Amino acid sequence: MGQAKQEMKLFVLSRQTIAVVAVAALAAAVGCNRYSEGPGKVVNLTAATKIRSSLVGQTAEAGGEQAASTGTGWATLKGRFVFDGDAPAMPPYGVNKDEAVCAPGGKAPPQEYLVVDPSSKGIANIFIYPRKVSRVNDAAGPKTDPFLFDQKECRFLTHAFAVSVGQPVEIHNSDPVGHNTSIAGQNTFNQMIPSGDKVPYSAKKEEATPASISCSVHPWMRAYMVPRKDSYVAVTKPDGSFEIANLPAGEVLEFQVWHESASGSNHGLAVQSDETKELKWDNKGRFKIKLDPDQTRELNIAVPASAFGG
Amino acid sequence: MLPVWKWVLARRFSLAECQWHTLGNMNLRSPSSLGIIAALVAALVGCEQAPPPQFHLNEMRMVENETPADYQQEIADVLGAMFGTPDQPFAFPESGLTQTRLTLAAGAAYNDTEGVSHGLYRRHCVHCHGITGDGRGPTARFLNPYPRDYRSGVFKFKTTFAAAKPTDEDLKRIMHNGAPGTAMPSFSLLPNSEVESLVEYVKYLAMRGEMEQRLNQYVYDELADADRVDEKGNPVLDENGAPLKGIRLNPAANAGQQEAVKGMMAEVVAPWNEAKDQVIAPTEEQIPKDNRPAEEIAASAKKGRDLFFSPQKGNCFSCHGPTALGDGQQNDFDVWTKEQKAFLDKTEQLKQSVAERDEQKDLSDDDKTALERDRRLVSEREDVIKTFYPLRNAIPRNLRKGIYRGGRRRIDIFARIHQGIPGMPMPGVGGSGPGVQGTLTEAEIWNIVDYVLSLPYEAISGPQTALPENVAEVTK
Repeated sequence: MGQAKQEMKLFVLSRQTIAVVAVAALAAAVGCNRYSEGPGKVVNLTAATKIRSSLVGQTAEAGGEQAASTGTGWATLKGRFVFDGDAPAMPPYGVNKDEAVCAPGGKAPPQEYLVVDPSSKGIANIFIYPRKVSRVNDAAGPKTDPFLFDQKECRFLTHAFAVSVGQPVEIHNSDPVGHNTSIAGQNTFNQMIPSGDKVPYSAKKEEATPASISCSVHPWMRAYMVPRKDSYVAVTKPDGSFEIANLPAGEVLEFQVWHESASGSNHGLAVQSDETKELKWDNKGRFKIKLDPDQTRELNIAVPASAFGG
Repeated sequence: MLPVWKWVLARRFSLAECQWHTLGNMNLRSPSSLGIIAALVAALVGCEQAPPPQFHLNEMRMVENETPADYQQEIADVLGAMFGTPDQPFAFPESGLTQTRLTLAAGAAYNDTEGVSHGLYRRHCVHCHGITGDGRGPTARFLNPYPRDYRSGVFKFKTTFAAAKPTDEDLKRIMHNGAPGTAMPSFSLLPNSEVESLVEYVKYLAMRGEMEQRLNQYVYDELADADRVDEKGNPVLDENGAPLKGIRLNPAANAGQQEAVKGMMAEVVAPWNEAKDQVIAPTEEQIPKDNRPAEEIAASAKKGRDLFFSPQKGNCFSCHGPTALGDGQQNDFDVWTKEQKAFLDKTEQLKQSVAERDEQKDLSDDDKTALERDRRLVSEREDVIKTFYPLRNAIPRNLRKGIYRGGRRRIDIFARIHQGIPGMPMPGVGGSGPGVQGTLTEAEIWNIVDYVLSLPYEAISGPQTALPENVAEVTK
């Protein structure tokens, strides 16, 4: 009897003990997690050490990379982007300021996030350009003539455009109200453009995708610009057509197709068809093509509404 | 009913008794008591050995680019190679950073036997700016404005042209003065050598962040072909009909990548080295004298007022408000918030599209694959969004308070007006680079400086009188 009671007591005590130990262990665990590890990968030191010695040491074993094959001659890529479906109606800009100037007669201009010509179904403002070229035709070097970028009725008159690195851009303001023009990306710029005045600008670095242009005073204003090192770049016209001439032939070129409202990765325009499959068109809006010398390749792409998240 | 406090009190007493009882009965030789002691020791020791803090990748950008997990690990490894860890920072030779300064600023905070302070960043900065310099330290959520995220390399208060980096002097100045009106305090009591170490460390964190984004983009642009999918989410095939194989990011085994990585680093470092040649230099003769007569200052401020309210010229009022209380354009965002907002908006759009497709019955297999892929993307994006702090608008400064975040000297205000504030909606009115024509002349900018500095003293601003009123009563 006494024995049993003793055992019983021991049992009770050890249960208490277990509880205390468990609490202590929990405290230890919680205590250790005070420095909570945020999300995101952290370094693997072994791999990092190896990479460091390769980057810092004098390992000039160049030539490990095979030189990309270059072709000869020049070719042209042209075509049209057509909207597959009814042209979407653009709602007016949400003008809530300087209405007299920005919405003359109480009518704000329509938005431009997806401009489709109702008759030809052409999609305007699609950027298309090769991501890299091995050689540049004499006729396709950087442009040097000044580019006029104007704003009127609180709307940028050119909604989507390409410039060359170093090309002079004149930012005008044809409105009786002040605007500021704020350019995002690597060529950051944000200056007040007084009413009726102009300010010079030029992009110093090439961008891989178009940079947005906005006005802080009138936050609905929006435009897109891509600065490129050469003039191998096109923005589709209102009928959806584009043409890039004098492209290097005989080698694989990778093109980027970009539209502000495209639902592909980073606004790449992704289209699915038999032809685009052949071109390895991916959801970054990139495709590969090899042109023959003196060839004029024509691409006619029907873009479904789903490519714009619709 | 028993009042709550009485109940609590009762519980506490009984708990104390219970503890006392347990301790009283404790037999130090019994295995259970030893267990308790071991657990307590383990608890203490365990906490001492918390894992060392680590730099973390920018999850928002990784998810935005859909960077696969194995590439993320490789990016973390390359960054570790070039920058080390928070405990052992590495001054990459081409970075121009000084190893001794980084070493002093990094690591755990302690004083050595000589009295030299180590771990300066963790002692003074980390609780707001975070280990990775992402502006997300433990206190960050409770501050307004939020602390600076160094990782994009954009700094607001500096004397250089808008697109340029700040100079070391600029960073030192904000450390000495703090940023009035924010939680950023002054560190003017620190010895100069410590401030210099911290400046070096801030540049180091900025370079690391910029390098991370370049590596992320490099992987996206050049390497991550393995996950190249068409718009239906099916793999893109190569000539032989096999899925395209990605190239691993491993500069140790690939000379081309070594060159590319070094090239990226050179691009990140160059603007930091060029900053000292990008300082706005106001023409000496045009700088107003300190000891101008009051009438001259008033005349200049009058001109400045006209420019301030002119839509053809300064246009300052459209954001700072017709009252200069900062009540003009208030619904814009800074670049850091804009990026988060774009991420939120895109997630919302994707979520809606997933919901719509869920309703449809006649989905093809391709459509179903795409739907599942998008569903996974939405959940990944939502995990990132959970870490966001509430988004805030960029509110123009109330100019009647006389509090200037970037400094209250005339030259500070001049730099703000000349170049605007990088990352913010605030535009500049001076030329965008050395020798480039601006909107306003230097003389006009100085006029606005005089007007802005006079605003807190206008009667309507309710400036504090020179003598407290009761004292004036007594001396009357």
